[in-house]
Amino acid sequence: MTPEALAALAEDALAAIAGAADPDQLEVVRRRVLGRREGALTRAGAVVATRPPPERPALGRAFNEAKGRVEVALARRSGQLQADALARSADGEWVDMTVLDTEAERGRLHPVTRVLREIEHIFRGLGYSVAEGPEVETDRFNFELLNIPEDHPARDGQDTFYLSDTLLLRTHTSPVQMRTMLGQPPPIRVIAPGRTYRRDNPDPTHFPMFHQVEGLVVDEGITVGDLKGTLLTFARSMFGARREIRLRPNFFPYTEPSMEVDVSCFVCDGAGCRTCHQRGWIEILGSGMVHPQVLRHGGVDPDRHQGFAFGMGPERIAMLKYGIEDGRELTVNDVRFLHQF
Amino acid sequence: MRFSCNWLQDFVDCADVPTARLAERLSATGTEVERVLEWPGGPPGVVLARVVELERMPRSDHLWLTRVDAGGPEPVAVVCGAQNLGRGALVPWAPPGTVLPGGTRLGLRRIRGHPSSGMLCSPAELGLGAEREGILLLDGDAAEPGTPLADVVGADRVLELEITANRPDCLSHLGVARELAAALERPLRRPDCTPPPRSGEAARELVRVAIANPDGCPRYCAEVVSGLPDRPAPLWMQQRLRAVGMRPLGLIVDLSNYVCLELGQPLHAFDLERVRPGGDPVLVTVRPARAGEALLGLDGVERVLDPPTVVIDIGGVPSAIAGLIGGMAGAVVASTSSILLEAACFSGSAVRGASRRLGLRTEASVRFEKGLSPELAPVGAARFVHLAHHLGGARVHPGPIDLHPGARPPGPPIRVTGEALGRALGMAVAAPEAARALRRLEFAVQEVGDRLAVRPPPDRLDVTIAADVLEEVGRSLGYDRVPATLPGRRCPAGTVASPAAREAVRELALGAGFDEAITVSLTAPLVADRLRPLAPPWPPIEVRNPLGPQGSVLRLSCLPGLLQAAAANQARGAERVRLFEIGRAFWGPSAAEPPEEPLLIGLVDHVPGGDADEAARRLRRLVALVVGVGGRCADGPPEVRQGRVPGLHAARAAELWAGGRRVGAVGELADGAREALELRGRTVVAELRLDGWLLAGGPAPQARPIASTPALVEDLAVIVPARAALGPALAAFAGGRVPHLESWRLVDEYTDARLGPAHKGWTFRLVYRDPARTLTGAEGIGLRAAAMEVLAEAVGARRRENA
Repeated sequence: MTPEALAALAEDALAAIAGAADPDQLEVVRRRVLGRREGALTRAGAVVATRPPPERPALGRAFNEAKGRVEVALARRSGQLQADALARSADGEWVDMTVLDTEAERGRLHPVTRVLREIEHIFRGLGYSVAEGPEVETDRFNFELLNIPEDHPARDGQDTFYLSDTLLLRTHTSPVQMRTMLGQPPPIRVIAPGRTYRRDNPDPTHFPMFHQVEGLVVDEGITVGDLKGTLLTFARSMFGARREIRLRPNFFPYTEPSMEVDVSCFVCDGAGCRTCHQRGWIEILGSGMVHPQVLRHGGVDPDRHQGFAFGMGPERIAMLKYGIEDGRELTVNDVRFLHQF
Repeated sequence: MRFSCNWLQDFVDCADVPTARLAERLSATGTEVERVLEWPGGPPGVVLARVVELERMPRSDHLWLTRVDAGGPEPVAVVCGAQNLGRGALVPWAPPGTVLPGGTRLGLRRIRGHPSSGMLCSPAELGLGAEREGILLLDGDAAEPGTPLADVVGADRVLELEITANRPDCLSHLGVARELAAALERPLRRPDCTPPPRSGEAARELVRVAIANPDGCPRYCAEVVSGLPDRPAPLWMQQRLRAVGMRPLGLIVDLSNYVCLELGQPLHAFDLERVRPGGDPVLVTVRPARAGEALLGLDGVERVLDPPTVVIDIGGVPSAIAGLIGGMAGAVVASTSSILLEAACFSGSAVRGASRRLGLRTEASVRFEKGLSPELAPVGAARFVHLAHHLGGARVHPGPIDLHPGARPPGPPIRVTGEALGRALGMAVAAPEAARALRRLEFAVQEVGDRLAVRPPPDRLDVTIAADVLEEVGRSLGYDRVPATLPGRRCPAGTVASPAAREAVRELALGAGFDEAITVSLTAPLVADRLRPLAPPWPPIEVRNPLGPQGSVLRLSCLPGLLQAAAANQARGAERVRLFEIGRAFWGPSAAEPPEEPLLIGLVDHVPGGDADEAARRLRRLVALVVGVGGRCADGPPEVRQGRVPGLHAARAAELWAGGRRVGAVGELADGAREALELRGRTVVAELRLDGWLLAGGPAPQARPIASTPALVEDLAVIVPARAALGPALAAFAGGRVPHLESWRLVDEYTDARLGPAHKGWTFRLVYRDPARTLTGAEGIGLRAAAMEVLAEAVGARRRENA
């Protein structure tokens, strides 16, 4: 009996274990090697005990090592054979895991609501409240108090849906500015999303009904810089951190100064592409410092408080962001269209 | 409006500025460049030629045989089909070999046997304009025959600019040149208005002017000009007019249009000989029209006028509608040589009113209606007579007429400080810097330390208050210089309001597999009335000026629009259509008062096959959804009251009630409504009002300790009438009258032969528990009796034996 003989015994046992095809065969192997009486390794152990003391330590180590290897291999093989057996019996209950239950599918959010939620989320993070106003407005709130004079083209029947001499479908959400100012003293920080109406025959970019989000800030010491910073924060949150904005002077009756706001194109990064008509910039909203007369109409003293206001169209943003070419799709509600969002 | 760069170059050096920079500077200062067009000059090869012989081609009703002197040794024979040639006319001739802009290569041809070399060209054939009838006629003295046309007609750049409504001063080349001069920081040159020598009879000997209503006409300037030649305007002028989209019509009209496009002052010329038949001075009166008075306009349309409209009455004949259009009576014609030139200021509201009443807009009216300065009128007149004298050799009569009843002493200047400008912009602004920016825009500025006293130029009527001056300074210095900051000093204390309940409901609908739709709130009356389960019994509110009958009323409910969308989807072959919409409807007795605007959610689930049981299953899911909305977002679920709802299936409909109010309706669409919408299959619908009873965020749930004692679980089998509703039974269990009852649910519903058609069986699984101790079997018998009792009371249940 030598340590080498013990190692050879273990090697033979490992090969037999690996060759066992089922738990019964494995049990036969176990008995043959480790059986209490006839097991080859068990017997070798008994022989080691009979050797003279000087030989015993080396033989003992070799025996323990051989036995340890065999025991580990037996346990591993046994676990493996059990798992195989379980897998074979589970196979009868096979389920196609790639099938999705369409009944459990979540409905899709309308793209305009997606944009509205995003806008609301951004401005709520900046401490804005969400205000609403009626869709049927008075001439006074929709035009007069906003400095839009009696004979302004928007006020004739060409552009505005009238219900009576004084009632109309609001043409913008700006009347909510006025209702907010009349309802609370400054400081004011609100956005007003909602439906608006214009007497436009539908085409890919004009719709008789569309949404608008108006924003209004009134406080002491509000500056053009504050307007710019707010809209830059919005543009970067909405269209990506690398965006820049530019303010282009324009004219609106209810703000002075007034400016259109362009955002650097989020498709081409300003290099020029189809989305931005090769300009590198995309017009996304109108804005300005609230006209002193409009502040006065809202019960705000323009010598003490200043404000800025802005308005944007979620349909336009949705069209730009999601590549919708014909905005009329937005109210057709074709499920094939809606399922893209 | 279109602007010619050659023309702008008269007033500011801009020819050397690349197009992109021009567009960038204009856009940055508030004038949006929509398009830039490269305007061609005369095509190469075309030369000027004089018509030396002209005769009709025998046996042709329209062709002419011409011989033209093109600077060569011999006149050239050219056959021509145009009817506007005369002997001596100077015209463009394209010799054989020329390729015209349209791609035609010319050659030596024979037309009906007559040789024809090249062709005489119309402006359209040369690519110089839209006019295809008639050969381009050049001023006879323009150049020698043989001169290349390109020497006379150079190329141009045309800017198409968007001018905002507050800037009528920019509806002129000078106005835009001023913007450009400021934007490029280059000097502005004003047009030459040097008075020409005056001779002949004094104007007042020929014409007397009176203004009857100064409100409509604050200023009226007039000049008498005679000896105007019958010849076209110089080619460079024609070319500029064409470049900006105007058709040359003859010297007098072209000069008027030219000055209008140059300075923004509309002018009108009357034929003096036609309006002043006699020898006495003719009386020109600016007065309101008489009711029913008619005027035949230059466009050939006769218009009947009303008093607020202002007319120019010459010798008792209405000869023009002020600021809008001239009349045929008194119109200049080819032979006109003496004119009365009107350069007036008509009030914006008068012209706008007349324009709207008559449905007519003209180059003049679009300028007047925005409000022009009375200071512009004499400038326009001066420029016209200067050009008429120098270009047309006309005689300008002494004593120009200038009535100015609306003259006002200048008001105080607008006072601003550099500090205030800086405070509003959010950056430091030095007073001298602001003053320089304003002066570049022709503002008069007095500086005293930090204080500025500012007077805008007379044609900038849009600048009246300090905020207007701020805009001028801001856009001149450039908003790109303003640092971006957030308004962060104070936040209002309190809650940040948001429509949270609405979003919670939206999430519930999405989670149940409904796609969100947005339908138009404007609809047709019949459609609005088709299904309106929650609306009061008023008709839909009408729109006075709808785009069409399909959008002539405001909706009463979201459901008709959703059902139309479902039908459209079905028509396109969609299999599963499950839509919802959250939006407002409009309920009111009439359009006299603002209507109530309830916030509604409408839900539509379409069952394509039309299977009644499948529809019932979907209906139950829908009821669970809307009842669940109440459970999640209000103090408790609404009560379902089964019963009739107009438009819904007679036996599959219910109203939802909460807090004593009807808040919803749910059911299957009735056959009639389904057919009207051309929907196949069955459809279940629900509508729920969201405002007024739902709570933002819903009520806070209250936790109870979870008991660890064993429960007593028992199945209770009962017999109830076939039409017994489950709701009252569950409500009875919830009423607290069965001791220890922890939970209850229906586990089976069945019918069988022994029960007969009048009854059905229900099995409830009841769980009793006492948190302190284990309930005994003996106690269970008493609890069962209590449960039976409440069920019997609620739905007439009796015990099913040996169940």
